[in-house]
Amino acid sequence: MYIRKMFCISPQPTYGNELFEQGAEEHTESQFWAKEPKYKSMVPLNLLRRMSKSVRMGVGTGLPLINEFEDIEGIIIGSANGSIKKSIRFLNQIVEYNEGTLTPTDFVQSTSNSIAGTLALMGKITGYNNTHVNNGIAFEAALLDAILLFEAGKAKRLLIGGVEEISQANYNIDKLRGMFKEEAVRSTELLASKTKGTVSGEGAALFVVDAQVSSSSIAEIIDVDQICYPTKEEIVEKIHHFLEKNQLEASAIDSLFLGYNGDIRTDFYYNWVSEKLFGKEVSIYAYKNLVGDYYTVSSFAMWMAAHLIDGQTLPKETIVRQGQRPVKNVLIYNHYEGTQHGLILLRSC
Amino acid sequence: MNRVFVTGMGVISSIGSNVEENRTSLLSAKTGIGKASFMQSRYVEQFPFGEVPYSSEHLLNSGGMKLEKGMTRTDILATLAFQEACTDASLTTAQIAAYDTAFMSASTVGGMSMTDELYKDGNHLGPPSEYLSSYICGAHTLKLVKRYGMKGLSSTINTACSSSANAIMMGSKLIQSGRAKRAIVGGAEGLAKFTVNGFNALRILSANPCTPFDENRTGLTLGEGAAYLVLEDETSVGDKTVYGEISGYGNSNDAFHPSSISDEAIGIIASIKEAIRTAGLSPTQIDYINAHGTGTVNNDYSELYGISQIFDTIPAYQSTKSYTGHTLAAAGVIEAIFSLLSIQYGELYQSLNCPNPIEKFDAAPILSYRNQLNIQHVLSNSFGFGGNCSSLVLSKV
Repeated sequence: MYIRKMFCISPQPTYGNELFEQGAEEHTESQFWAKEPKYKSMVPLNLLRRMSKSVRMGVGTGLPLINEFEDIEGIIIGSANGSIKKSIRFLNQIVEYNEGTLTPTDFVQSTSNSIAGTLALMGKITGYNNTHVNNGIAFEAALLDAILLFEAGKAKRLLIGGVEEISQANYNIDKLRGMFKEEAVRSTELLASKTKGTVSGEGAALFVVDAQVSSSSIAEIIDVDQICYPTKEEIVEKIHHFLEKNQLEASAIDSLFLGYNGDIRTDFYYNWVSEKLFGKEVSIYAYKNLVGDYYTVSSFAMWMAAHLIDGQTLPKETIVRQGQRPVKNVLIYNHYEGTQHGLILLRSC
Repeated sequence: MNRVFVTGMGVISSIGSNVEENRTSLLSAKTGIGKASFMQSRYVEQFPFGEVPYSSEHLLNSGGMKLEKGMTRTDILATLAFQEACTDASLTTAQIAAYDTAFMSASTVGGMSMTDELYKDGNHLGPPSEYLSSYICGAHTLKLVKRYGMKGLSSTINTACSSSANAIMMGSKLIQSGRAKRAIVGGAEGLAKFTVNGFNALRILSANPCTPFDENRTGLTLGEGAAYLVLEDETSVGDKTVYGEISGYGNSNDAFHPSSISDEAIGIIASIKEAIRTAGLSPTQIDYINAHGTGTVNNDYSELYGISQIFDTIPAYQSTKSYTGHTLAAAGVIEAIFSLLSIQYGELYQSLNCPNPIEKFDAAPILSYRNQLNIQHVLSNSFGFGGNCSSLVLSKV
């Protein structure tokens, strides 16, 4: 399938692609908050006020695409936590008011499918609609879902994406289990920190994808795959099979997007894979030092990779190693906590 | 395109801890709805529930999970149903773990079923609980993936009350496309203070056991449970018992309102039509409809209206939620299993709690038990918040 157009909200100035002119902004907070656009021109204020941040970001990135492409037939979103802040607020009220009378708004928005549901409602898109919530490979599953629809000839154009928001409660819980760094760290030094944990991020990246290539296609999404709890050998074998299935040698990959997040416990996978499978000439890009780590961050990586394929020069902060080969075949390899590993294969078209 | 056969079923609900017990309850018209004994909520006094009638501790022990930490009720129910389905299909541990076995699960509440523990951990009150990695919706899936060392494609779907119907659909597509030879598909939902308060805030919980498709229905009854199907392609089936085939599916969005369905049943009509069309059937070939039938004023009217627009004569239909309560993300797969039982045994079960069928449509749900029927094709509906509508067609092989 082919990326036709995309929008991204993230902790970087990505909404108007300013990132590529201005370079990456440094973050020093323990949570990298998304820089949101002015939604007022898109959504009536009373509606906007009721929206959760993830619905807002989904609408901010998705609605302009829906408005431009009237023939979008379905919507598939990956979002592990959905409107988690609304869920937690509702949950807090249950406990604090001892199950008193509550308003249902937060509850209705609490399910992850409220992003795809709201977009369907606003765009009157009555076709296929699905939401994958499988933690660190939720976006990969959304891609797979779209590929299956296109392969079966069930759609020609879809809206897909990944959305995640930070909530304080989830930040607290994930911090308790050691997900985040104890010490303060600047985003520019995250990847070299050599300590346990990472930083928390959030964002939304939505894409219009077509079954057929056109002169306006930005990049081809060739295939997607995933594996959970692999050994070092199994992940190499998996990537090897994945490329082979798509008639590619590892040497055909010129650019790698690797999910380095500065966590000394799990970053070794990326070094291992790039050393074991790919030569010294391959370009390597990082992205979590720009936006932090979140369950559907591979949607941000795909947004970056598509820009690279489209001829953009990526900010210097993303470059781990600059190869000299022209951009043709790009592999995104991202894992969450070392448990769920996702692979997305793109190429120029 | 590969065909998709059902070779294994596992279910735990308020009417039984396995497939056989569930069928026994259906045969004897015995509901699982009543006063909840294990869920901690003040609404236990006010509303009936379809609770699985065992403590979480008892269920942990029965499933050989006694010493495991951090198991939420959703996790426990999921594991029990998963075990039964895999055993029923005679899957070896190597087959469960294989690269070409997919696992598609579903939940809406996930580990938020531990409402009070989440409150404490989320607000940093007291020492951390054992559930830190258990709250997220996909936690039960990841735990099963780890337990069985599954290397194949996995996902968790949350489209509210249609979640597990979509998990079945996704698994079927993976087999049809050749990306998997097998798929274990279904969903799990533990009863939770979180959900009870949510539906109460919406004012759609019924003070009495739900009465689907009755003129005087007053709302839904929440239930809990989990169920999984083992789906296999033709080359993997061998001489196993085949309970049926996933022959069609449809998915659509009503695009009308965040928490209710349009009177014109736009999404419902679209998903049913698509399911029947992909099965290569005409509506007259559907022998039985296992309806979504929640018992709310809105759902049952819209669903019956939608059905009446597609079927010149409405086939035998009912909602089995008067037995199990509405098990949310698990409803689609539990009802798929009930549909497969009807196909396998050629029987239709008595509908409960529908003394005065909705007047506007000249069609009462199945009123009494019937058997020695040849049920070839069943339509099963699941609709959810966010406008998500899904329908499946299950067929005799």
